[in-house]
Amino acid sequence: MSTSGVKTVTDRLHFGLLLAAVALAAFGTLMVWSATAGMLAHDAMFKRHLIGLALGLLPLVGLGMSDYQKWKNWAGPLMIALALLIVSPRIPGLGASAKGATSWLEVAGQRLFQPSEPAKLLFIVVMAAMIAEFSGRIDQSRDVLRVAGYIALPVVLILVQPDLGTGLVFVAIAMGMLLVGGLAPRYFAIAAVVGIVAIGLLLALPGPLEAYQKDRLLVFVDPSRDPKGAGYNLAQSKIAIGSGGVTGKGLGAGSQSNLNFIPERHTDFIFSVLGEQLGFVGAVILIGLFLALLAAALSISTSSRDLFGALIAAGLLAMWLFQIVENIGMTVGMMPITGIPLPFMSYGSSAMVTNLAGVGMLLSVWSRRYGT
Amino acid sequence: MTTFRQQLKGRFATLGLIVLVMLGGLLLRLWSMEVLSGASFAAQAEDNRIREVSIDAPRGRVLDAKGRPLVTNRPVMVVTLAPSILTREDSATVITRLSALIDVPVPDILKRLSSDKQERLKPRILRADVPMTTVSYLVEHAPEFPDVAVDAAAVREYPFGGLAAHVLGYAGEISEGQLQDENLADSRIGDIVGKAGIEAQYDKVLLGEKGYRRLEVDSKGRIRRVVAQGEPRAGKDIVLTIDADVQSVAEKALADALDEAHRQGYTKARAGAVVVLDIKTGAVVAMASAPSYDPTIFLGGIKDADWKRLTDKASEYPLNNRAVMAAYPPASTFKAVTGMAGLQDKVTSAGASYFCPGKWEGMGKQWAKWCWNHAGHGSISFTNGIIQSCDTVFYEIGQKFYERKKEELQSFARSIGLGSDTGIDLPGEVSGRVPDAAWKKLYNRNYPEYQQWLPGDTVNMAIGQGDLLLTPLQLASVYAAFGNGGKVMKPHVLQSVLGPDGKPTVEVSPVVAHDPKLLAGNLATLRRALVGATTSGTGRGAFSGFKIAVAGKTGTAQVKGKDDYAWFACYAPADAPRYAVSVVIEQGGHGGSVAGPAARQVLATLFSQPWHPVHTTDVSR
Repeated sequence: MSTSGVKTVTDRLHFGLLLAAVALAAFGTLMVWSATAGMLAHDAMFKRHLIGLALGLLPLVGLGMSDYQKWKNWAGPLMIALALLIVSPRIPGLGASAKGATSWLEVAGQRLFQPSEPAKLLFIVVMAAMIAEFSGRIDQSRDVLRVAGYIALPVVLILVQPDLGTGLVFVAIAMGMLLVGGLAPRYFAIAAVVGIVAIGLLLALPGPLEAYQKDRLLVFVDPSRDPKGAGYNLAQSKIAIGSGGVTGKGLGAGSQSNLNFIPERHTDFIFSVLGEQLGFVGAVILIGLFLALLAAALSISTSSRDLFGALIAAGLLAMWLFQIVENIGMTVGMMPITGIPLPFMSYGSSAMVTNLAGVGMLLSVWSRRYGT
Repeated sequence: MTTFRQQLKGRFATLGLIVLVMLGGLLLRLWSMEVLSGASFAAQAEDNRIREVSIDAPRGRVLDAKGRPLVTNRPVMVVTLAPSILTREDSATVITRLSALIDVPVPDILKRLSSDKQERLKPRILRADVPMTTVSYLVEHAPEFPDVAVDAAAVREYPFGGLAAHVLGYAGEISEGQLQDENLADSRIGDIVGKAGIEAQYDKVLLGEKGYRRLEVDSKGRIRRVVAQGEPRAGKDIVLTIDADVQSVAEKALADALDEAHRQGYTKARAGAVVVLDIKTGAVVAMASAPSYDPTIFLGGIKDADWKRLTDKASEYPLNNRAVMAAYPPASTFKAVTGMAGLQDKVTSAGASYFCPGKWEGMGKQWAKWCWNHAGHGSISFTNGIIQSCDTVFYEIGQKFYERKKEELQSFARSIGLGSDTGIDLPGEVSGRVPDAAWKKLYNRNYPEYQQWLPGDTVNMAIGQGDLLLTPLQLASVYAAFGNGGKVMKPHVLQSVLGPDGKPTVEVSPVVAHDPKLLAGNLATLRRALVGATTSGTGRGAFSGFKIAVAGKTGTAQVKGKDDYAWFACYAPADAPRYAVSVVIEQGGHGGSVAGPAARQVLATLFSQPWHPVHTTDVSR
């Protein structure tokens, strides 16, 4: 570190980021408490949520104190670790699958974590190391092909799990990083076309997706589709949020969320509980906090001392933005239903630890923004 | 550094813009839903008249090795009452009439209706197994009994009565503790889950999947129609390794042995266990434990008085499966283990010769120990030591092990699986104990004067006394290993899980749990000695006239403050072994006269031999 480097602790910490993260974690804890209130395993689940928060502080502090520039040297091993994480649920004796797609790493019958969550962070680091090599300009078609290859490998691996939601998160992360990494605009247009064709094929061909998965994807376009399954869930979620009105029915008071109308109300559909209980005001507060988080990520990206750091921050920003938009969007019928948790809000320790680790990564980039 | 930031300025601006547009879009949508259309959605929520109730799935059946059902389901008629009755003006009249009709007190009915721990709309079961006359009365007078329904439900049925009750276990209403278990997150109060035995071990397999009924209700909560229904999926059937015929004989032999013990004056004998293993696979062919219980008392919730009786000390804990949950000093049955350890570690040999004076003073005059035969066996070989169960021979071997200071006897015992769980697929297994210096120090950590491992500790262990503890299952699995060439198989009771078509989807294959690498010559020496024990030694009375060669050993364990515990362990046929059997009778007296005949009774069935009650005497230990 040069002499013009970091002087004080306050200078190293990004208070906007920390405040947003703390506020979001507190808000999330409140909502998990409320959403699990009627459940029989309430105490155990709430305890697990708090343990997840505490566990997340370790990577937050650890990554925050480490030098992100060193991560680049590990890109190769990290790539292998990423591939292993993604395929681990498929390894006999290690994997377990819940509700179709959510894959778990399991050892001796004991669920450890969802490997797709930390995989997102590994993907960001690996991609950042790779994109940074192009020094901010990717317009040769050979370079573009190479980049596409790097992205396609993990995405395809995760899609065959099948975990469509996480696959989309990976694509969103890649897009955000490529934007900062200098992919020529015409390639974004090509990517969009390829994406639309791919989705069209996925839906049209009988093989790759199960009928229920298609229902979940398409029900937001056509609510009458699968009225007893996904359509029912979506309708109930919309009624919950809409009936919250301006100020909501009060914490713990929603009839929709208390009468078990909303499936997965403590995980994927936690926003429906928030919308019903805290109303538009609660939603504005939450989105305001998310905006603060994303703004902090953007400011860190712009102040990074090098492209590698800027790309990491941009990747995290894209990851969170996509998950927020997809998750809230699905509860209000704007987006297809996929099993993507709402950052800092949904019950689930794997995601919580991953998000807090992401905050740590941002802190590392921020605290080393000085010097050459 | 600044150059790259300037170069990227436009891109950051684009990224920021995307964030704003997307979050703005969400806010706009929420504004439209919550503020503009809030009232309309609120009305929909108010009007939300769909309720969901679950439909219980029947539990899977449990079959014996030959496909005979040991546990199955019996359809019964149950009378249910929906909580919506409380919204009616005439509810008091209806409940009072119903109470008299089905013989359930009014307060009980009200309590069940108001329990908030159940699904709100799920009809409460008021009584199961209602007589047909009541059913037809209720059906004929249905209009007078609103919200009352007569439903078919399934309860557990035991075609063989209490046979194998300890292995099968029982199912019952889920406990508070289990409700907190996240693995059972779908469970609710009132659910039936496995509590013991196979029912608990394979609960998830047997459980099935609940169905659901989505109901439309009116504003008062009364059901108008069924909107959608998902059928429950029955739990899977499982096949056990237990053979009902052998099991039944094992239980009979256990009961007869208790009678025989009483006949011989051991009036305190009330408990015991019998285990039969397939020596090649570790499959449990029979497992009996006494005293036993009637599993049907758990149906529809066990009464407080019954539970008290079953868990009372005076009743000898009939719910416990002694074959796996009780550990005893194995006494002379352990001499086969000590002997094999001695042969393997070359502490003794087939031809080794000893002298038994009756009173053994190998550790010094002040530490003299008696052979069970106070007159002494005189000059005696190693093999005859096992045949005659001569304590002196094993005192000598034990002392030699002690002098070598390597705890080889303990190591050998552990290498054949003693001191640790066998890993059988039954809950509550205990691991027994192989005592050593480290254990003694820890065990007596508050009594420094007792912490030292002494020669007497190893000497006592060598004859299966002292602090050594084994479960009947462990002993059977050790004898099975002696019979199958030295492989300790992991015992199991599950044979296979059946799919909906009745074909096995999962089959349990044999697993070698421990391989102590026993030398073939040593196994042959042990076999000769064990066959000698049942033909000319301490077991000859029990097996006189038996056509199948049995390699077995008697045991008579001394337990402080109690009458002697009778043991017998064996494998048979000696020349082509197929089964291992262990028998223990708590406070039953001597192994040769009480436990041995019980083992013979089981072997007679296994090998289709005639059997008649054997009365013999045994004074050995």
